[in-house]
Amino acid sequence: MNFDQLKDEWNKDEVTSNHVSENMLKMKEAHTPIDSIRKKMKHEFFGQLISLLFLAFVPKIFGFTDELKNIYILFYAIICGFMAYYFFKFYVFYKHSYDLSMDSRKNLLWFYYEMRLNLELYKALTYIVGFILLSFSAIALFAIKGDFLTKLLSKLSITYIAINAVVTILLIGVITELWAKFYYGKYLKRIKAIVDSIDEE
Amino acid sequence: MLETQQAFLQQINENKGIIHKVSKMYMDNTLDQEDLFQEIVMQLWKAYPSFKGTSKFSTWMYRVALNTAIVFFKKDSRKIDKTPLNEQIDLADSSDSHEKEEKLAYLYKAVQELNQIEKALIFLFLENQSHREIAQNLGITEINARVKLNRTKEKLQQIIKKNGYEF
Repeated sequence: MNFDQLKDEWNKDEVTSNHVSENMLKMKEAHTPIDSIRKKMKHEFFGQLISLLFLAFVPKIFGFTDELKNIYILFYAIICGFMAYYFFKFYVFYKHSYDLSMDSRKNLLWFYYEMRLNLELYKALTYIVGFILLSFSAIALFAIKGDFLTKLLSKLSITYIAINAVVTILLIGVITELWAKFYYGKYLKRIKAIVDSIDEE
Repeated sequence: MLETQQAFLQQINENKGIIHKVSKMYMDNTLDQEDLFQEIVMQLWKAYPSFKGTSKFSTWMYRVALNTAIVFFKKDSRKIDKTPLNEQIDLADSSDSHEKEEKLAYLYKAVQELNQIEKALIFLFLENQSHREIAQNLGITEINARVKLNRTKEKLQQIIKKNGYEF
Protein backbone atom coordinates (compact mmCIF):
# COMPACT_ATOMS: atom_id res chain seq x y z
CA MET A 1 0.00 0.00 0.00
CA ASN A 2 1.48 3.28 -1.12
CA PHE A 3 0.44 6.02 1.31
CA ASP A 4 1.88 8.86 -0.77
CA GLN A 5 -0.17 7.79 -3.76
CA LEU A 6 -3.20 7.45 -1.53
CA LYS A 7 -2.59 10.94 -0.17
CA ASP A 8 -2.49 12.36 -3.72
CA GLU A 9 -5.76 10.68 -4.58
CA TRP A 10 -7.31 11.87 -1.32
CA ASN A 11 -6.38 15.46 -2.08
CA LYS A 12 -7.55 15.23 -5.70
CA ASP A 13 -10.89 13.86 -4.55
CA GLU A 14 -13.41 16.64 -5.00
CA VAL A 15 -16.15 16.24 -2.52
CA THR A 16 -19.62 17.16 -3.63
CA SER A 17 -21.76 17.99 -0.65
CA ASN A 18 -24.81 20.12 -0.08
CA HIS A 19 -24.64 23.86 0.34
CA VAL A 20 -24.51 24.83 4.00
CA SER A 21 -27.44 27.16 4.60
CA GLU A 22 -28.43 29.23 7.63
CA ASN A 23 -31.16 26.70 8.41
CA MET A 24 -28.49 24.18 9.29
CA LEU A 25 -27.36 26.45 12.12
CA LYS A 26 -30.79 26.15 13.74
CA MET A 27 -31.65 22.59 12.85
CA LYS A 28 -31.23 20.78 16.12
CA GLU A 29 -29.67 20.87 19.54
CA ALA A 30 -25.99 20.08 19.72
CA HIS A 31 -25.26 16.65 21.13
CA THR A 32 -21.74 16.12 22.26
CA PRO A 33 -21.59 13.86 25.37
CA ILE A 34 -21.53 17.00 27.51
CA ASP A 35 -24.69 18.24 25.76
CA SER A 36 -26.37 14.85 26.25
CA ILE A 37 -25.51 14.82 29.96
CA ARG A 38 -26.69 18.40 30.32
CA LYS A 39 -29.98 17.50 28.65
CA LYS A 40 -30.50 14.48 30.92
CA MET A 41 -29.58 16.49 34.00
CA LYS A 42 -32.04 19.17 32.91
CA HIS A 43 -34.81 16.55 32.83
CA GLU A 44 -33.80 15.29 36.24
CA PHE A 45 -33.65 18.86 37.51
CA PHE A 46 -37.36 19.30 36.80
CA GLY A 47 -38.08 15.91 38.38
CA GLN A 48 -36.21 16.95 41.51
CA LEU A 49 -37.98 20.29 41.60
CA ILE A 50 -41.37 18.54 41.49
CA SER A 51 -40.23 16.12 44.23
CA LEU A 52 -39.14 19.07 46.36
CA LEU A 53 -42.57 20.68 45.92
CA PHE A 54 -44.23 17.38 46.78
CA LEU A 55 -42.11 17.07 49.94
CA ALA A 56 -43.43 20.47 51.05
CA PHE A 57 -46.93 18.98 51.25
CA VAL A 58 -45.95 15.77 53.03
CA PRO A 59 -46.96 16.98 56.56
CA LYS A 60 -50.41 17.92 55.26
CA ILE A 61 -50.86 14.71 53.25
CA PHE A 62 -49.85 12.45 56.15
CA GLY A 63 -51.43 14.60 58.88
CA PHE A 64 -48.29 15.17 60.96
CA THR A 65 -48.65 16.36 64.54
CA ASP A 66 -47.31 19.86 65.36
CA GLU A 67 -44.26 18.33 67.02
CA LEU A 68 -43.45 16.12 64.02
CA LYS A 69 -44.20 18.99 61.64
CA ASN A 70 -41.53 21.12 63.36
CA ILE A 71 -38.95 18.34 63.04
CA TYR A 72 -39.96 17.83 59.42
CA ILE A 73 -39.52 21.55 58.63
CA LEU A 74 -35.97 21.35 59.99
CA PHE A 75 -35.15 18.34 57.78
CA TYR A 76 -36.91 19.91 54.80
CA ALA A 77 -34.87 23.11 55.22
CA ILE A 78 -31.64 21.07 55.21
CA ILE A 79 -32.72 19.26 52.03
CA CYS A 80 -33.61 22.61 50.43
CA GLY A 81 -30.18 23.96 51.35
CA PHE A 82 -28.36 21.04 49.72
CA MET A 83 -30.65 21.12 46.69
CA ALA A 84 -30.10 24.86 46.25
CA TYR A 85 -26.34 24.31 46.27
CA TYR A 86 -26.67 21.51 43.72
CA PHE A 87 -29.06 23.51 41.53
CA PHE A 88 -26.59 26.40 41.53
CA LYS A 89 -23.72 24.10 40.54
CA PHE A 90 -25.89 22.51 37.88
CA TYR A 91 -26.84 25.95 36.53
CA VAL A 92 -23.16 26.86 36.23
CA PHE A 93 -22.48 23.55 34.44
CA TYR A 94 -25.47 24.05 32.15
CA LYS A 95 -24.49 27.57 31.17
CA HIS A 96 -20.77 26.93 30.89
CA SER A 97 -19.71 26.89 27.27
CA TYR A 98 -16.89 24.70 26.10
CA ASP A 99 -14.12 25.48 23.68
CA LEU A 100 -13.69 22.93 20.93
CA SER A 101 -10.81 24.88 19.41
CA MET A 102 -8.43 23.62 22.10
CA ASP A 103 -6.16 20.72 21.13
CA SER A 104 -7.87 17.30 21.27
CA ARG A 105 -6.15 16.12 24.45
CA LYS A 106 -7.07 19.26 26.41
CA ASN A 107 -10.55 19.12 25.02
CA LEU A 108 -11.04 15.46 25.95
CA LEU A 109 -9.65 15.96 29.45
CA TRP A 110 -11.95 18.93 29.96
CA PHE A 111 -14.94 16.85 28.87
CA TYR A 112 -13.91 13.93 31.07
CA TYR A 113 -13.27 15.84 34.27
CA GLU A 114 -16.29 18.10 33.84
CA MET A 115 -18.51 15.05 33.43
CA ARG A 116 -16.94 13.22 36.36
CA LEU A 117 -17.21 16.23 38.63
CA ASN A 118 -20.88 16.71 37.88
CA LEU A 119 -21.63 13.03 38.19
CA GLU A 120 -19.93 12.86 41.61
CA LEU A 121 -21.85 15.95 42.71
CA TYR A 122 -25.07 14.33 41.55
CA LYS A 123 -24.27 11.13 43.47
CA ALA A 124 -23.31 13.07 46.60
CA LEU A 125 -26.62 14.90 46.55
CA THR A 126 -28.53 11.63 46.15
CA TYR A 127 -26.69 10.13 49.17
CA ILE A 128 -27.31 13.21 51.32
CA VAL A 129 -31.01 13.50 50.48
CA GLY A 130 -31.42 9.73 50.89
CA PHE A 131 -29.87 9.80 54.38
CA ILE A 132 -31.85 12.85 55.47
CA LEU A 133 -35.14 11.27 54.38
CA LEU A 134 -34.17 7.98 56.00
CA SER A 135 -33.27 9.70 59.27
CA PHE A 136 -36.54 11.59 59.29
CA SER A 137 -38.49 8.40 58.56
CA ALA A 138 -36.81 6.74 61.59
CA ILE A 139 -37.66 9.73 63.82
CA ALA A 140 -41.24 9.81 62.50
CA LEU A 141 -41.66 6.10 63.16
CA PHE A 142 -40.48 6.54 66.74
CA ALA A 143 -42.78 9.50 67.22
CA ILE A 144 -45.80 7.67 65.83
CA LYS A 145 -45.16 4.11 66.95
CA GLY A 146 -42.73 4.87 69.77
CA ASP A 147 -43.90 2.28 72.29
CA PHE A 148 -44.11 -0.50 69.76
CA LEU A 149 -40.64 0.27 68.34
CA THR A 150 -39.05 0.58 71.80
CA LYS A 151 -40.40 -2.84 72.73
CA LEU A 152 -39.30 -4.25 69.39
CA LEU A 153 -35.80 -2.77 69.68
CA SER A 154 -35.36 -4.10 73.23
CA LYS A 155 -35.89 -7.58 71.84
CA LEU A 156 -33.35 -7.12 69.03
CA SER A 157 -29.62 -7.20 69.54
CA ILE A 158 -27.53 -4.09 68.80
CA THR A 159 -25.57 -6.11 66.21
CA TYR A 160 -28.76 -6.89 64.32
CA ILE A 161 -29.76 -3.21 64.27
CA ALA A 162 -26.26 -2.17 63.18
CA ILE A 163 -26.26 -4.77 60.37
CA ASN A 164 -29.63 -3.47 59.17
CA ALA A 165 -28.39 0.11 59.17
CA VAL A 166 -25.28 -0.84 57.19
CA VAL A 167 -27.34 -2.85 54.69
CA THR A 168 -29.72 0.10 54.19
CA ILE A 169 -26.81 2.48 53.63
CA LEU A 170 -25.22 0.03 51.20
CA LEU A 171 -28.52 -0.31 49.38
CA ILE A 172 -28.78 3.46 48.93
CA GLY A 173 -25.17 3.46 47.70
CA VAL A 174 -25.70 0.60 45.24
CA ILE A 175 -28.92 2.10 43.84
CA THR A 176 -27.26 5.50 43.39
CA GLU A 177 -24.16 4.02 41.76
CA LEU A 178 -26.21 1.82 39.42
CA TRP A 179 -28.52 4.66 38.45
CA ALA A 180 -25.57 6.98 37.69
CA LYS A 181 -23.83 4.21 35.76
CA PHE A 182 -26.91 3.30 33.78
CA TYR A 183 -27.99 6.86 33.05
CA TYR A 184 -24.68 8.70 32.60
CA GLY A 185 -21.88 6.14 32.86
CA LYS A 186 -21.74 5.14 29.19
CA TYR A 187 -20.61 8.64 28.15
CA LEU A 188 -17.94 8.68 30.80
CA LYS A 189 -16.69 5.23 29.82
CA ARG A 190 -16.45 6.14 26.14
CA ILE A 191 -14.61 9.40 26.78
CA LYS A 192 -12.24 7.62 29.17
CA ALA A 193 -11.42 5.08 26.46
CA ILE A 194 -10.57 7.89 24.03
CA VAL A 195 -8.47 9.70 26.67
CA ASP A 196 -6.57 6.44 27.25
CA SER A 197 -5.94 5.94 23.56
CA ILE A 198 -4.51 9.45 23.19
CA ASP A 199 -2.28 8.99 26.24
CA GLU A 200 -1.04 5.59 25.11
CA GLU A 201 2.72 5.71 24.50
CA MET B 1 -25.30 39.36 13.50
CA LEU B 2 -26.56 38.71 9.99
CA GLU B 3 -23.24 39.85 8.54
CA THR B 4 -21.34 37.54 10.88
CA GLN B 5 -23.60 34.68 9.89
CA GLN B 6 -23.10 35.38 6.18
CA ALA B 7 -19.32 35.61 6.61
CA PHE B 8 -19.36 32.34 8.54
CA LEU B 9 -21.49 30.54 5.95
CA GLN B 10 -19.28 31.76 3.13
CA GLN B 11 -16.17 30.41 4.83
CA ILE B 12 -17.89 27.16 5.69
CA ASN B 13 -19.03 26.64 2.11
CA GLU B 14 -15.51 27.29 0.85
CA ASN B 15 -14.14 24.64 3.22
CA LYS B 16 -17.06 22.22 3.50
CA GLY B 17 -14.97 19.48 1.89
CA ILE B 18 -13.09 19.18 5.20
CA ILE B 19 -16.31 18.59 7.14
CA HIS B 20 -17.54 16.14 4.56
CA LYS B 21 -14.32 14.12 4.65
CA VAL B 22 -14.25 14.11 8.47
CA SER B 23 -17.86 12.88 8.52
CA LYS B 24 -17.09 10.06 6.08
CA MET B 25 -13.98 9.17 8.02
CA TYR B 26 -15.81 8.89 11.35
CA MET B 27 -19.20 7.46 10.35
CA ASP B 28 -19.88 4.47 8.16
CA ASN B 29 -23.40 5.15 6.94
CA THR B 30 -24.99 8.09 5.20
CA LEU B 31 -27.47 8.94 7.95
CA ASP B 32 -24.77 9.08 10.62
CA GLN B 33 -22.50 11.05 8.27
CA GLU B 34 -25.27 13.62 7.79
CA ASP B 35 -25.81 13.82 11.56
CA LEU B 36 -22.11 14.38 12.15
CA PHE B 37 -21.89 16.92 9.32
CA GLN B 38 -24.69 18.94 10.93
CA GLU B 39 -23.17 18.57 14.37
CA ILE B 40 -19.81 19.89 13.13
CA VAL B 41 -21.46 22.86 11.41
CA MET B 42 -23.39 23.61 14.63
CA GLN B 43 -20.29 23.35 16.80
CA LEU B 44 -18.31 25.53 14.39
CA TRP B 45 -21.05 28.15 14.55
CA LYS B 46 -21.13 27.97 18.36
CA ALA B 47 -17.35 28.30 18.51
CA TYR B 48 -17.14 30.98 15.80
CA PRO B 49 -16.92 33.90 18.30
CA SER B 50 -13.69 32.34 19.59
CA PHE B 51 -12.13 32.46 16.10
CA LYS B 52 -9.85 35.48 16.26
CA GLY B 53 -8.41 35.18 12.78
CA THR B 54 -4.84 34.74 14.04
CA SER B 55 -4.66 31.45 12.13
CA LYS B 56 -6.25 30.37 8.84
CA PHE B 57 -9.97 29.59 9.02
CA SER B 58 -9.28 26.08 7.73
CA THR B 59 -6.70 25.45 10.52
CA TRP B 60 -9.24 26.42 13.17
CA MET B 61 -11.87 24.39 11.38
CA TYR B 62 -9.73 21.22 11.44
CA ARG B 63 -9.56 21.41 15.23
CA VAL B 64 -13.22 22.04 15.90
CA ALA B 65 -14.33 19.49 13.29
CA LEU B 66 -12.01 16.77 14.60
CA ASN B 67 -12.77 17.48 18.25
CA THR B 68 -16.48 17.23 17.50
CA ALA B 69 -16.04 14.00 15.53
CA ILE B 70 -13.87 12.41 18.25
CA VAL B 71 -16.56 12.80 20.91
CA PHE B 72 -19.55 12.32 18.61
CA PHE B 73 -21.40 9.07 19.19
CA LYS B 74 -23.67 7.59 16.59
CA LYS B 75 -27.23 6.87 17.57
CA ASP B 76 -27.28 3.55 19.41
CA SER B 77 -30.27 2.30 17.45
CA ARG B 78 -28.26 2.31 14.23
CA LYS B 79 -26.31 -0.89 13.78
CA ILE B 80 -22.71 -1.11 12.67
CA ASP B 81 -22.27 -2.50 9.18
CA LYS B 82 -20.13 -5.62 9.50
CA THR B 83 -20.22 -6.67 5.85
CA PRO B 84 -16.71 -7.42 4.53
CA LEU B 85 -15.18 -4.71 2.36
CA ASN B 86 -15.06 -6.69 -0.86
CA GLU B 87 -18.75 -7.55 -0.64
CA GLN B 88 -19.72 -3.92 -0.37
CA ILE B 89 -17.67 -2.41 -3.15
CA ASP B 90 -18.34 -3.39 -6.73
CA LEU B 91 -15.12 -4.39 -8.43
CA ALA B 92 -16.49 -4.87 -11.94
CA ASP B 93 -15.60 -1.47 -13.38
CA SER B 94 -11.85 -1.10 -13.70
CA SER B 95 -11.56 2.32 -15.34
CA ASP B 96 -8.88 4.59 -13.89
CA SER B 97 -11.20 7.09 -12.19
CA HIS B 98 -13.34 4.32 -10.83
CA GLU B 99 -10.24 2.61 -9.48
CA LYS B 100 -9.33 5.77 -7.58
CA GLU B 101 -12.83 6.11 -6.19
CA GLU B 102 -12.70 2.47 -5.28
CA LYS B 103 -9.44 2.93 -3.38
CA LEU B 104 -10.94 5.78 -1.38
CA ALA B 105 -14.09 3.77 -0.77
CA TYR B 106 -11.95 0.95 0.62
CA LEU B 107 -10.03 3.43 2.69
CA TYR B 108 -13.22 4.91 4.19
CA LYS B 109 -14.46 1.42 5.03
CA ALA B 110 -11.14 0.28 6.47
CA VAL B 111 -10.76 3.33 8.75
CA GLN B 112 -14.03 2.39 10.44
CA GLU B 113 -12.03 -0.28 12.26
CA LEU B 114 -9.68 2.33 13.73
CA ASN B 115 -10.34 4.11 17.00
CA GLN B 116 -11.22 7.83 17.21
CA ILE B 117 -7.62 8.99 17.68
CA GLU B 118 -6.24 6.73 14.94
CA LYS B 119 -8.84 8.14 12.56
CA ALA B 120 -7.72 11.67 13.46
CA LEU B 121 -4.08 10.73 12.81
CA ILE B 122 -4.80 9.27 9.38
CA PHE B 123 -7.08 12.16 8.47
CA LEU B 124 -4.50 14.81 9.36
CA PHE B 125 -1.79 12.83 7.54
CA LEU B 126 -3.92 12.62 4.39
CA GLU B 127 -4.61 16.35 4.68
CA ASN B 128 -0.83 16.91 4.28
CA GLN B 129 -0.22 17.96 7.88
CA SER B 130 3.32 17.60 9.19
CA HIS B 131 4.12 15.57 12.32
CA ARG B 132 4.44 18.85 14.18
CA GLU B 133 1.00 20.05 13.08
CA ILE B 134 -0.55 16.68 13.90
CA ALA B 135 1.04 16.84 17.36
CA GLN B 136 -0.25 20.37 17.92
CA ASN B 137 -3.76 19.46 16.85
CA LEU B 138 -3.93 16.40 19.05
CA GLY B 139 -2.05 17.83 22.03
CA ILE B 140 0.70 15.21 22.05
CA THR B 141 4.46 15.39 21.47
CA GLU B 142 5.90 15.34 17.97
CA ILE B 143 7.70 12.04 18.66
CA ASN B 144 4.51 10.50 19.95
CA ALA B 145 2.64 11.73 16.87
CA ARG B 146 5.26 10.10 14.61
CA VAL B 147 5.14 6.79 16.51
CA LYS B 148 1.35 6.72 16.65
CA LEU B 149 1.02 7.59 12.97
CA ASN B 150 3.40 4.81 11.91
CA ARG B 151 1.55 2.30 14.07
CA THR B 152 -1.79 3.43 12.66
CA LYS B 153 -0.53 3.15 9.08
CA GLU B 154 0.59 -0.42 9.78
CA LYS B 155 -2.75 -1.23 11.37
CA LEU B 156 -4.59 0.21 8.40
CA GLN B 157 -2.50 -1.83 5.99
CA GLN B 158 -3.31 -4.98 7.93
CA ILE B 159 -7.04 -4.19 7.94
CA ILE B 160 -7.04 -3.67 4.19
CA LYS B 161 -5.02 -6.83 3.61
CA LYS B 162 -7.24 -8.84 5.97
CA ASN B 163 -10.26 -7.78 3.97
CA GLY B 164 -8.71 -9.04 0.75
CA TYR B 165 -7.74 -5.83 -0.97
CA GLU B 166 -4.25 -4.49 -1.56
CA PHE B 167 -3.20 -1.18 -3.12
